[in-house]
Amino acid sequence: MADYRKITLDGLWHNNPALVQLLGLCPLLAVTGSVVNAIGLGLATTLVLVGSNLAVSLIRNLVPDAVRLPAFVMIIASYVTCVELLMQSLTYDLYQILGIFIPLIVTNCAILGRADAFARKNPVMPAVLDGLMMGVGFSVVLVLLGGLRELLGQGTLFSDMQLLFGPEAAGWKLTLFSDYPGFLFAVLPPGAFVGMGLIIAVKNIIDARRKARTERQPQPVEDGGSKRVRVTG
Amino acid sequence: MALMRLSSPHVHRPGKTGDVMKQVIAAALPGLATLVWYFGWGPLINAVFAVTLALLFEAVILKLRRRPLGFYLGDFSAALTGLLLALALPPYLPWWTTTVGVFVAIVIAKQLYGGLGQNPFNPAMIGYALLLISFPVEMTRWAGPQEVTGAQLSFVDALAVIFAGQGLPDAVTMATPLETFKHKGALTADELWAQSAQLLAGLHAWQAVNLAFLLGGIYLLLRRIITWHIPGALLFTLFMVSGFFYGADPSNHGSPLFHLSTGAIMLGAFFIATDPVTAATSNKGKLVFGASIGLLIYIIRTWGNYPDAVAFSVLLMNLAAPFLDYYTRPRTYGHKQPQKGIKR
Amino acid sequence: MSKIWSFHGGIHPPENKQQSLQRPLEALPLPSRLVLPLQQHIGAPASPLVKVGDRVLKGQPIAEPTGFVSAYLHAPTSGTVVDLVDHSVPHPSGMTAPCVVIEPDGEERWIELQGVDDYRSLEKHELAERIRHAGIAGMGGAGFPTEIKLHLSDDHIINTLIINGVECEPYITADDMLMRERADEIIGGIEIAAHLLTPTHVLMGIEDNKPEAARAMTEAARRSRIDIEVVVVPTKYPSGGERQLVKLLTGVEVPSGKIPADIGIVVQNVGTLAAVYNAVHFGKPLISRITTITGEAASRPGNREVLIGTPISDLLAHAGVDPNRLTRLVMGGPMMGYALGNANVPLIKTSNCIIAGAADEFPPAPPAQNCIRCGACEQVCPAELLPQQLHWFAKGREYDKALNFNLLDCIECGACSYVCPSNIPLVQYYRHAKGEIRREQAEQRKAEQARIRFEARNERLEREKTEKEARRKARAEAAAKAQAAKKDDAVTSAPKADPEAALKAAKTAAAVARTKLKKAEKALQIARDSGESDLAALEAEVSAQQQKVAASEAALKAAESTAPAKTPDIKELKLAAATARTKVTKTEKALADAEAKALPSAEKLRSSLATLRSKADAAQHALAAAEQSARPAAPAEATAAATADLKQLKSNAAILRTKLKKARKAIEAGDSSAELAQQVTELEPQLASAEQALAAAQAQQPPHTGPDLKALKSAVAIARTKVKKAQKALDEAGDNDDLRAELAQLQQQAAAADAALEAAQQATESP
Repeated sequence: MADYRKITLDGLWHNNPALVQLLGLCPLLAVTGSVVNAIGLGLATTLVLVGSNLAVSLIRNLVPDAVRLPAFVMIIASYVTCVELLMQSLTYDLYQILGIFIPLIVTNCAILGRADAFARKNPVMPAVLDGLMMGVGFSVVLVLLGGLRELLGQGTLFSDMQLLFGPEAAGWKLTLFSDYPGFLFAVLPPGAFVGMGLIIAVKNIIDARRKARTERQPQPVEDGGSKRVRVTG
Repeated sequence: MALMRLSSPHVHRPGKTGDVMKQVIAAALPGLATLVWYFGWGPLINAVFAVTLALLFEAVILKLRRRPLGFYLGDFSAALTGLLLALALPPYLPWWTTTVGVFVAIVIAKQLYGGLGQNPFNPAMIGYALLLISFPVEMTRWAGPQEVTGAQLSFVDALAVIFAGQGLPDAVTMATPLETFKHKGALTADELWAQSAQLLAGLHAWQAVNLAFLLGGIYLLLRRIITWHIPGALLFTLFMVSGFFYGADPSNHGSPLFHLSTGAIMLGAFFIATDPVTAATSNKGKLVFGASIGLLIYIIRTWGNYPDAVAFSVLLMNLAAPFLDYYTRPRTYGHKQPQKGIKR
Repeated sequence: MSKIWSFHGGIHPPENKQQSLQRPLEALPLPSRLVLPLQQHIGAPASPLVKVGDRVLKGQPIAEPTGFVSAYLHAPTSGTVVDLVDHSVPHPSGMTAPCVVIEPDGEERWIELQGVDDYRSLEKHELAERIRHAGIAGMGGAGFPTEIKLHLSDDHIINTLIINGVECEPYITADDMLMRERADEIIGGIEIAAHLLTPTHVLMGIEDNKPEAARAMTEAARRSRIDIEVVVVPTKYPSGGERQLVKLLTGVEVPSGKIPADIGIVVQNVGTLAAVYNAVHFGKPLISRITTITGEAASRPGNREVLIGTPISDLLAHAGVDPNRLTRLVMGGPMMGYALGNANVPLIKTSNCIIAGAADEFPPAPPAQNCIRCGACEQVCPAELLPQQLHWFAKGREYDKALNFNLLDCIECGACSYVCPSNIPLVQYYRHAKGEIRREQAEQRKAEQARIRFEARNERLEREKTEKEARRKARAEAAAKAQAAKKDDAVTSAPKADPEAALKAAKTAAAVARTKLKKAEKALQIARDSGESDLAALEAEVSAQQQKVAASEAALKAAESTAPAKTPDIKELKLAAATARTKVTKTEKALADAEAKALPSAEKLRSSLATLRSKADAAQHALAAAEQSARPAAPAEATAAATADLKQLKSNAAILRTKLKKARKAIEAGDSSAELAQQVTELEPQLASAEQALAAAQAQQPPHTGPDLKALKSAVAIARTKVKKAQKALDEAGDNDDLRAELAQLQQQAAAADAALEAAQQATESP
């Protein structure tokens, strides 16, 4: 029986595709200039992840190991095509902005990685959940980074949301600094790298703190003589 | 009779890292004074502000890293970084721009890599390059020499421009010679100089600034704080390359003197490229390092997008410094051949 | 004036030499105790010749060398040996070592000294032996036994003798004083050394901060019989380093890992040569030396002539050292000397200087800052290393990289530490790294030795085993021979050697000869292609090899004919046939493949297939023939095999039956896949044949080989149990045709078993 709680936590935190596995960095760094871009790509990726995990899990006993990767890529490519067509019909402007990065979801290692590492070894339900959680974990990082870069780069948050959520979302834009000069560095790729590094650093700090806490609490100090530390040689 | 048991050598040359940094700072002061002389109070305010900020950021990070403040601030490296950045910035840059630059220089380019001695890139130049990329408008708004523009900003005015967000009066602004030359379009060099008499009149201000930095650099050379290899190779290469193109086509290329006496050349050659942490260390490596910077400066100035290129050239060669060091190792006493590269 | 070369780097620390040059050379009064460490030189410690309570005379040997690299030790004055103990000695670690302690009697009675008036009349080895007996070890600091360097083996031809009067370390003036005061003794020593080494050049290096010494030496050199060139070199630390001085005076570098003697150069310190002079001319052993006592804590700094073994505290007292000001006591110079933990250690042969440093003179090192890669260390390194890189590697324990950056060429002169603006104790890092590297290498050597030992042991065991085997065989053969000789007394002569072995040997010989021929031919071909000159020789070789091959093949044929027609081994033949068949099938496959792809190799494959097929057929024929010939040959064996075979056949049949049953059951259970059906159809004929074979075998079996009653009894029991079980199952299951049929069958079997048992019992009872 699959441990759904573990799958969820893995996807969102412990084994987050963007922060821990560092997979799919190319789209992650390329399109996170603003929140709306991040949400768009995050949704698309999640959709593909769930779909591909589902399909891969279904065919897991039918496809021989030797040809599994081509099969997976075919599946992923089909889903990506679907998502692409969907985006063309529903959010054409966003599709235009994200451009090549939507078709490039096919090559996103996070998706192929989950298909190969998880979905082909697990039943349908856990596989779908894994795809969903990995997708959400990836999207959260995308949105975080997008928010950070949009804030630093343009001084706004949630601008151009109408691209994704219809005309009424145009008013969601928050302008945090009125006379913001724009910080081009944050919008350019180096800013993405620095931002990503900072987010990973924060995650590592949290993990280190939690580890220190759990190590401190349940283990009472062992007594039984002082431990001599070798200081020489 | 408590005897100290210490390892040899028991004597030590006086002088510490902090003294080295202090002398470099001192050597940069004539340049700063010349800047103030020609461009008003702006450079001085910038410098004081940037140094203060640099010390502040350094102190905060040291606190976070739980390092002794006095010991590390006493090496004056943060102050020097702040000063060098300020000297490279336009004279009346708004305060927040300077703040961003110093923050990036000290926190990201230096301390995040482990502090003094660990940073692969020149912190001041990282700060400068980041500002140049992010805030092109602010970073290209240069003041002209006061005697040419005729407009003088009082100390209070200068403070207001920098800190209160008052725009720099148009009367004060003026393009730098390098910018003007960059955007001369189809004009020949002679036509350009004929058109911009104001600039021609002010050219000597920039030349004086470079001369002041050259004097400071010679002081450093005499005090043996830097060696001649990097500035020598840099200036020689720039001279030769610009001379070649000037000789081939004088109407479209600046003269060697023009290239050597404008922009941040002397500051870069003697104060920035010679930063030991990020430069090559072997003498041969230094020669290659300096020459490559000179070449890159000319290439970017002439065919690149930016009028001046000291920062980018230095950063690019910083990247190559470890490589240069591995491949320009001296021949050790008693060995026939110098070893090259690094064995794994 | 000869040319002066230069070496890279170097520093100019404050000299501080004037302090100790203000006063003339004084002799230290006789101390109350003398402590003489048994090891004052490089190499093995000396072994004592005296015991506690012995009275010794001044100059009497009290310890003798224990190896090639070792030195004599002499009593510095007359007195009594009061102790042979571990005493603290001058060493960076502050360790203790065995020492001879002498209490002087104040009489200063010498042993009888035997000087040589004309050392030229002595054999060189005799002269060297005299120097050895004087216990002279290099007095510049290293303490290498001098006579070894003066009497080198024949594979070192010395062309240059260099005399080191550089004394580049700050503070030290002992050699300076010696050169001023005793220039003639030094020249005398140089003459002896030159006589022993017969160099073409004799060069003496003196730094230009010792003009008086240089003048005195030049004067003395002019009076000498031989041509000694006094070269004044610019003052720079570390000009006095052996390798640096060699470069400075000759322009030649001592190769890494070699010693100067390897390039025909010997370097000797001035003090050492003065001692050599005294040893040869007056027979005086090395019992005293000139030592500088200086430093701010000393109120009467200067040079003292001290007896070896004098406690440093005596020297300090004589120089008026204020114990309250003294914070650092350095033996040697400030650059390479080591700090002593207390003044209770003796002066030894290599102690050229004692610095009694005050706090403001030698302040404690400030804390090290980060390295800013300023490269100052690199500019001053006399070995042209990259100290800052070595520092990173040593710090990061990347010793491989440190070695790659020539860490072992570091002479630990301390110039890098001296100039480092960040106060990094670089030399300490290098010492530590070198120690670690040496430790690692020692461990590796140990492991290597262990491996060699282990392999040697294995080899020995193996050898012993084979020897034992050989002995056993030999014994058995001898016994067999004896037996044979007894039995076949009538037979004239047994075949001497095993014909089969001979055949084998002949075969290998032929094969070897053929390979050699091929090689020779190939070499010839290559030579021809490249147009080499000695074709004739190669051709001759080829023809010789051809002859050899012919001869060996003839021998082989002969051996084959003499070998008895061997009964072919069926097993081998079977194997050969099987291999041939596999080859055929493989080739067939390959051929099919090739044909399908229309490869050009198909033709080739086809022909090889034909040959393989014929080979396989031949193998099959041979096998069949052998089997036929083997069958009648072993009728007795057949019966034995038959019983075994019967068992085999039975189990075969049983296995097949179970399989069949399983398959059938599966079919009944509803799994009607084609596979199973096929299995059943396959199994049925197999089972039938197996049962037939079994029946045949049973029929062949002689009927009365003694029926096994026990087996029969158990068979009956088993049959009965089965019947019972089946009945129970039937009862439980109610009406079931299958079960009933099985039950009936089992009942029949049980009845048969009963009958068999009865018959057997009757048969056994009746006779």
